[in-house]
Amino acid sequence: MSRIELQGVRKRFGATAALDGVDVEAKDGELLVVVGPSGCGKSTLLRCIAGLEAVDEGTIRIGDRDVTNVKPAARNVSMVFQSYALFPHLTVRENIAFGLVVREEPKAVVRERVAEASKLVGAEPFLDRRPYELSGGERQRVALARALVRRPEAYLLDEPLSNLDAGTRVEMRTEIRRLHREVGSTMVHVTHDQVEAMTIGDRVVVLDAGRVRQVGTPDEVYSRPTDLFVARFLGTPAINVLTPQEARAFFAIPEGTVLGVRPEQVRLDGDGVPSRVELVEVAGSDAYVFLDRGLVARVATDARPAEGAEVRARFDREAAHLFDEATGRRIQP
Amino acid sequence: MRAGERRWGGWRQPVAIAVAVAFLLPLWFMVSGSLREPGTPPPRAPELIPRPLSTVSYDRAFDLVDLGRHTVNSLIVAALTVPLAVLVASLAGFALLLVAGRARAVIVGLSFAALMIPVTALLVPRFAMFRWLGLTDTWAPLVAPALLGLSPFYVLLFYWSFRRLPPELLEAARLEGMQPFAMWRRVGMPLVRPVTIAVALLAFIASWGNFLEPLIYVFNPDLYTLPLGLRSLETLDRTNYPVLLAGAVVATAPVVLAFVIAQRYFLHEDRGAGWLGR
Repeated sequence: MSRIELQGVRKRFGATAALDGVDVEAKDGELLVVVGPSGCGKSTLLRCIAGLEAVDEGTIRIGDRDVTNVKPAARNVSMVFQSYALFPHLTVRENIAFGLVVREEPKAVVRERVAEASKLVGAEPFLDRRPYELSGGERQRVALARALVRRPEAYLLDEPLSNLDAGTRVEMRTEIRRLHREVGSTMVHVTHDQVEAMTIGDRVVVLDAGRVRQVGTPDEVYSRPTDLFVARFLGTPAINVLTPQEARAFFAIPEGTVLGVRPEQVRLDGDGVPSRVELVEVAGSDAYVFLDRGLVARVATDARPAEGAEVRARFDREAAHLFDEATGRRIQP
Repeated sequence: MRAGERRWGGWRQPVAIAVAVAFLLPLWFMVSGSLREPGTPPPRAPELIPRPLSTVSYDRAFDLVDLGRHTVNSLIVAALTVPLAVLVASLAGFALLLVAGRARAVIVGLSFAALMIPVTALLVPRFAMFRWLGLTDTWAPLVAPALLGLSPFYVLLFYWSFRRLPPELLEAARLEGMQPFAMWRRVGMPLVRPVTIAVALLAFIASWGNFLEPLIYVFNPDLYTLPLGLRSLETLDRTNYPVLLAGAVVATAPVVLAFVIAQRYFLHEDRGAGWLGR
């Protein structure tokens, strides 16, 4: 087990800065999730940690070692790729054993470790099949087993659930969480899916345009976003952002600021501001109610108003966040 | 039924048959002509099956020229050339994949340029070089091009095939500490098997049918390859068409056999063969 620390890491591809001075630490045994929109540099970050990309500036430490200029294999990390990167010409068993065979481990050790890893991820029933004979979820399990079998210092997971259907994704999310608890090693998990980030991570790093916007527990980044980007990126539906003019009906806010309020904080009962329901989207147990005041409210499906209905909307001042309109930074403590 | 099949509809099979017939007819006339009695003139009209059928032309061809020895010589040259060409072309193609962007573009460009150079333009300098090395009248000049992959085309063919592989496969191997040569052997080559077989077949055809280079470099009749044997046959009995065609059948049969054996590998497509890990 070991921590991973990045200090001032910069990486450019031509004129584009993929990573622009990234400082991040994954604590020993922590499951750190890096989340951000497509192209924000999260996969580059992971590849830099793995050594598949050389950094232009900054240092990367794994455990006590500075591995900035160390070859990928010598960093002692395992990576699960978005496409799983299973070798099509090898059986599942051979795929899992690959790293050990390359390192010329004794056959008995290979057998024992493969059995152990495949049991851990539930890949035992299909050890003699080839990857193309497996479902997406099964391939994912094999990829995880291949990463586990070598017992590395840390695991790097590059959007491992993005190719799975919704049901399998939920199942594998739980599986990764369980594996992390059982293995206890440091894991860095990259995803663009905010739900995945919030449900899996011990801590979440929100990345945008190669810069770290916020690091914190899922609860912290959701309920106390440091800027408008983080506030908007996390949460479904997205946070309501009101200009001083739009917010006036609810609360007066200074010019040059915007007010952010989560849809679940908007209540459609009591003596709020009169509003008309423009649209209602039902998403299972919750419904999203779009109001004419530029607000979206999340309510229980059973309690949803009808489209066109007149309602009264309100929210508590304490539940709202104030941001600087120009910089997007949080103003309210 | 796929869209392409629908569009072709019922025309696909007759067209395929027509193309096959167009290509097979000359082969058939070669075989049927070789089964005519020696000394008989070519038939005035196309003759599918000659009457009477005779294999004497084959005996005559083997009597006139030592076709057996020339066949063995050609087989030896091909046995040296083909594996060497596949080995070098695939290694060069894989190396090209690992070369950084700009250098790779330059090498690919140079390879294309090399493809444009006619073989005949290099005959004199190459002859001079092999003579200086004392390698004329040996098989070395026939095999030597295989040390460069036989043709830039084969190198590029391998490069394009390796480039088709998902880069994550090689990255996964790199993370496990695999060295480039091991990656080529254990990851790259098993995944481009159809291309390997296609290149081997093309190299075999090139080596087997190579007339010009043996003509220039090989003087000792004991070292003659089959194309030179056929030329001897033509020199010795120029007008005996059945005998000449019997020699042509002997020269063509191994290539056809090699294609029949190889085609099932490189024309074979199923889910397993096509799935590359994505």
